[in-house]
Parts: sequence; C-alpha cells; structure tokens
Amino acid sequence: MAAATPASGLRTEPAPALARNAVSLEGLAIAFALGSGGHYRAVEQIDLSVADGEFVAIVGPTGCGKSTLLNAAAGLLKPAEGRVGIYGEPLSGLNRRAGYLFQQDALMPWKTALANVAVALEPQGVGAAEAQERARQWLGRVGLSAFAERYPHMLSGGQRKRVALAQMLIRNPEILLMDEPFGPLDAQTRQIMGNLLLDLWAADRKAVMFVTHDLEEAIALSDRVVVMSAGPAARIVGDYSVPLARPRDIADIRLDKVFHEIQREIWATLKVEVQKAYAQGEGRA
Amino acid sequence: MKRLNLLAWQIGVGLAFLAAWHVFSTVKFGGAKPPLDPFFFSTPLDVIARTWKSFASGEIWRHLWITLVETALAFGIGASTGVAFGFGFALRPKLAAIFDPYIKMANALPRVVLAPIFMLWFGLGIWSKVALGFTLVFFIVFFNVYQGVREVSPVVLANARMLGMNDRQLMRHVYWPAALTWMFSSLHTAVGFALVGAVVGEYLGASAGLGYKIHEAESVFDTTGVFSGMVILAAVVIIIDVAMTMVERRLLVWRPNHDSGAHQT
Ligand SMILES: Nc1ncnc2c1ncn2[C@@H]1O[C@H](COP(=O)(O)OP(=O)(O)O)[C@@H](O)[C@H]1O
Ligand SMILES: [Mg+2]
Repeated sequence: MAAATPASGLRTEPAPALARNAVSLEGLAIAFALGSGGHYRAVEQIDLSVADGEFVAIVGPTGCGKSTLLNAAAGLLKPAEGRVGIYGEPLSGLNRRAGYLFQQDALMPWKTALANVAVALEPQGVGAAEAQERARQWLGRVGLSAFAERYPHMLSGGQRKRVALAQMLIRNPEILLMDEPFGPLDAQTRQIMGNLLLDLWAADRKAVMFVTHDLEEAIALSDRVVVMSAGPAARIVGDYSVPLARPRDIADIRLDKVFHEIQREIWATLKVEVQKAYAQGEGRA
Repeated sequence: MKRLNLLAWQIGVGLAFLAAWHVFSTVKFGGAKPPLDPFFFSTPLDVIARTWKSFASGEIWRHLWITLVETALAFGIGASTGVAFGFGFALRPKLAAIFDPYIKMANALPRVVLAPIFMLWFGLGIWSKVALGFTLVFFIVFFNVYQGVREVSPVVLANARMLGMNDRQLMRHVYWPAALTWMFSSLHTAVGFALVGAVVGEYLGASAGLGYKIHEAESVFDTTGVFSGMVILAAVVIIIDVAMTMVERRLLVWRPNHDSGAHQT
C-alpha cells in the first residue's frame, strides 16, 4: 500500500553543519497570566535541542508543561524568558517549518477526511486537482482510502488521528511536533499507529518532538527521552538516549533486554516526579 | 415501527382535540346552547368547510402568495445582512464593543411598535411587512453568526494556522463555514419569525395577505373565518418547517446527530 515516499521535494539544500539543530530551546521560561492578576510560571530554565532527523520523546507528569513546550516551539506561545531557535534562526511568529499534531481533535469538522488533508496543500499554492490526488495517496498511506468521504464525526478516534497525521505530513514539514497523538486510543490501535508513524518517519527522517505520558511508547519510538519535573516551574530533570536498533517493531521491542534496562532507569526519575505531581494534586483538592 | 407509532399518537391527539371541539360546540347537553357557543368558538366542520371553500373558489391563493413573498423577502434580506454583520463584528471586536449597547437596545424593542412607523415609511404594500420581518430575522441570524464565529474552536483555528493558512484562507475554510453553520441552525426560527413579521404587519394594516384575511374576518365577528385563516397559516408553517428540515439535513451532513446515514464507499 505505502510503497511511495512523500512526493514533494520541499526540502532545500542541507543547512550548514553548525545549524544542524532543528529546534533549540535556550533558557526558556513560560508564564500564564491568571485571572486573579498573578502569573503561573509553568516551565523554567528549559534547555533542549533536537537535532535534524532526531526523534525526541518528552515525558512528564500530567500538567507539567509538555504541551506548553510544544506550543512554544510552534510559535503559538511567546516565552517569558529565553529564546526559541529553529535551524539556528530565532523564531518570530508561527513556526512555518513545523507541522503540529494537536492533543485535541483539530480537524475541520465541516470537511471530509479527504478535504481536510487536501486543504493542507492550499497554502503552498498546489492546485485543487493535484491536492486531491495527493491527499488520496496520503489517506492510502495511513490506511484510510475507504474513508475519504467521511466527515470527522463519522470516524473513530484512531481514524481521526490518522487523518490528522496525513494532514500534517502531506505538507512535508521539516519538524514534527506531536502532542500525545495516541493518547486516547486503545492499546492495539496505539501499537498500529506507532508502527505506522515509524514507517512514515523512516522514509525521510525529520526532527520530531513527541510528547507522551506513556514511557514505554516514548522509549519504543524515540532516539532520546527527555523527562520533565512536576510543575509549577517544571524543568528538564533527565535526558536519556535510547540505543535500540532501527527499524523497530514497537510490539517486539518491548521484549528487548536493553529496553527494560532503559525503562527501569528512566522510571526511577519519572516516578519521583509523578508522585510529586500527584501529592500536589491531592493537596490542592 | 417506532416512528409509525409516534405518528399514530400525534394524529390521535389531533383527532381527539377535534372530536372534543366538535362535541362541545354542537351538542347542547340540555342547555339552551352548546357549552362552546359556535358564535365564539365556531365548529370544526364549519372551519373545514370554509377553508375548503376559500381554496376551491381560488380567492385565498392571492393572499397566500403575498404572505409568502413577504416572508421570503424578509428572510432573504434579514438573513444575508445578519450573516454579514455577525461576521464583520465577530472579526472586529472593537467595532462590536462600540455597537454592543445599541444592538441590545434595538433587539429589546418589541417589534409591533415599529409596525406603524414602517407603514408610514414604506406604505401599506408589501415593503412595510418585509421591514417588520427583517427586524426579527436580522437579530436572530446576527446573534447566531456572531456567537458562532467567535466560538470557533481555538484548536481548529490553531491547527489551520499551523497548516500555513493566511487570513483569506482562514476566512474561507474556518470562519465562513462556522458562520454558515450557525446561520443554518437558526434557519427554523428565522423563517418562522419572517412569517410572523409578515402576518403581524398585514394584520395591522394591509389590503392583502393571510394576516389581512384574519383581521377582516375578526372585524365582522366571523369566528369561522378567523379559525380558517389560522388553520391555513398553521399548515403553511408546517410545510415550511418540513422543507427547512430537509434543507438543513443537506447542508449539515457533517454534523453529528443529523442522521444522514453513514457514508459508505
Ligand atoms: N492558558 C493557561 N492559563 C493558565 N494556566 C495554564 C494555561 N495553559 C496551561 N496552563 C497550566 O500550565 C501547566 C502546563 O500545562 P500543559 O503544558 O498543558 O501540561 P501538559 O504537560 O499536561 O501538556 C498546567 O499546570 C496548566 O494548568
Ligand atoms: Mg498536554
């Protein structure tokens, strides 16, 4: 079904070696204005860089600021301190080189699956007929050829995520930001989606920032796992590389010995933060 | 099966009502007159006979046509300006803030008091009725579209922007469909109000239309004529409502709970 690689050749000549970091967050702090007049400092002193072609997973207790980090990298949120660099350039406004898969449903409910994917090419000036054709190919690649004419509410949660994935990838962005894309799906669907993502990603490795609350998923997919502390003022408390060979099958790889060692090591750090977050939640309630 | 059952009950209730009306307006129960004096309450058979006659003689068609034309004009003009203003204000919050109190004031005004003024301005012909219907339709559509555009899901909007859409594309693919959705969902109410505007306008001063017919019958204490006019009006409302439901189904297939039948390819 998915023999072809993405058709477009958007990628320009390689950037100079110095600027190989696709995303670099330097000394980042992000605060939200609260209704009461104060500020909530969500994340602080974040230093994180994602190399071109690198798949980085971000884990941390719920509410610690994972989505906030992605929003900053996407240019949807302005940092209170620090800077966001995209291929060495300071980011101003929206990040035009990134695709974003949102945690919530973000498809246009009034468009069919096909139209949702095809419309992503319109800003690039692709004609309607060609856009439709390429959107059909992409729906095929995510296994949804038979569902092209359905509206989002007629699709299951997993199918909607696949449409959103096709919508993001058809533009061929250089950086992929994914926020718990498989969060609400059942275990089997998560595995299928994970393998699908790895297949698509392997075709032309892009820089990925992948947020998840599932540590196993993070390890199975990524080259590097970054652990965030509990908020407020969450920081990065761990940065682990994942030396597992690719290509991987994310169901099989969980049985690997090395996988377990990494998992135990990261969990030791993550557990502390999860418990901290839980205790805070208790205290607040 | 369930639908048929429901329909049977609905018809049953109607028939029971008519039967009760018939009995109490024709049987004397030992008194000098039936409990519902036909002079004040007419009888169902008289009303049906009169309605039949007015269609058979053909004289009602002209009135019906005029009322429908007024309704259509009030709806068309009211809905399109409502969409335009709702859209414009939603995208220009400053403008909306300035006009907010005036819009609320205008909307709070009972429209009936405007009818004589409209007659002064536009005469006794159809345009004074169109104007009255317009003031009703405009606000319904305006508020719906205004709210709809402002409440476009921020995630859908952020996603569209991340796809690289410029303002024009956002307008076309996000704001405009959202606005239309809300317009469609106010269609039922809006068409109903367009008709109300037309009939009330005719009632208060006209030389043709259903409202005029009802008023004419009232002024000579012809209760049968009044009820007959009301029956025709009700029938028109139901027909329009069914038509609207069909249009809505078509236009809002993408919405959940519009049993469009799953699309299978
Ligand atoms: N608009 C906002 N206003 C105030 N606080 C916010 C806002 N958005 C997020 N937060 C807070 O910032 C923290 C991080 O949020 P988020 O990045 O969504 O967490 P998560 O790691 O679960 O994705 C949370 O404690 C949340 O309550
Ligand atoms: Mg989140």
